[in-house]
Amino acid sequence: MTQTETTGRKRFTKRRRYRRVMVGVLLAGVAIGLALRSIGYPFVGEAVYWLGIISVLAIWRSTSLTLFDERDQELERRTAMTTLSVFAAVLVIGASATRVLAWAGIYTVPPVLAGALYGYVVLFLVALFIGAWYRYRG
Amino acid sequence: MSQADLAAAVDVTRQTINAVERERYDPSIELAFKLAAYFDCRIEDLFDPELNGVGTDHDD
Repeated sequence: MTQTETTGRKRFTKRRRYRRVMVGVLLAGVAIGLALRSIGYPFVGEAVYWLGIISVLAIWRSTSLTLFDERDQELERRTAMTTLSVFAAVLVIGASATRVLAWAGIYTVPPVLAGALYGYVVLFLVALFIGAWYRYRG
Repeated sequence: MSQADLAAAVDVTRQTINAVERERYDPSIELAFKLAAYFDCRIEDLFDPELNGVGTDHDD
């Protein structure tokens, strides 16, 4: 094995370890935080939750390793597009259905569901804003 | 050579190399150049894009 391959192999192993540690720390923070809240220690639980979040960010920002490669970014892009498409379908159909049902006096959507639909509208406005920023930032 | 060795050499994950081999992911130009450099060949020797007639039908 050449020097380049040895260095590459070490970097590869280190990246895999970092990614596993990040996922582990995040899941542990959420799980322990939930457990502590459920047994009556809400503030400690919240602190543990934030400790997990900050630890993940610290690992991600402090290492010079590329933890996520180009395929990860492509998968994230496709995931975001598919998710937005699902939300768009739910919003278009859901908003129309709630209006028609309300006008017909058949069913009035509960405030929680109406709020969720407005939340989707906000989501798309944010997506539009971010998309415009990427497109026109020069 | 294993996928892990190649992945380490070109600084991507083993899953990315696997996806490229199975034609489930088209690598970036940068990665394609790295792979070509690693195997000491041209990009065209590694990848065979289906260009659907691009460059074969000139009007001028």
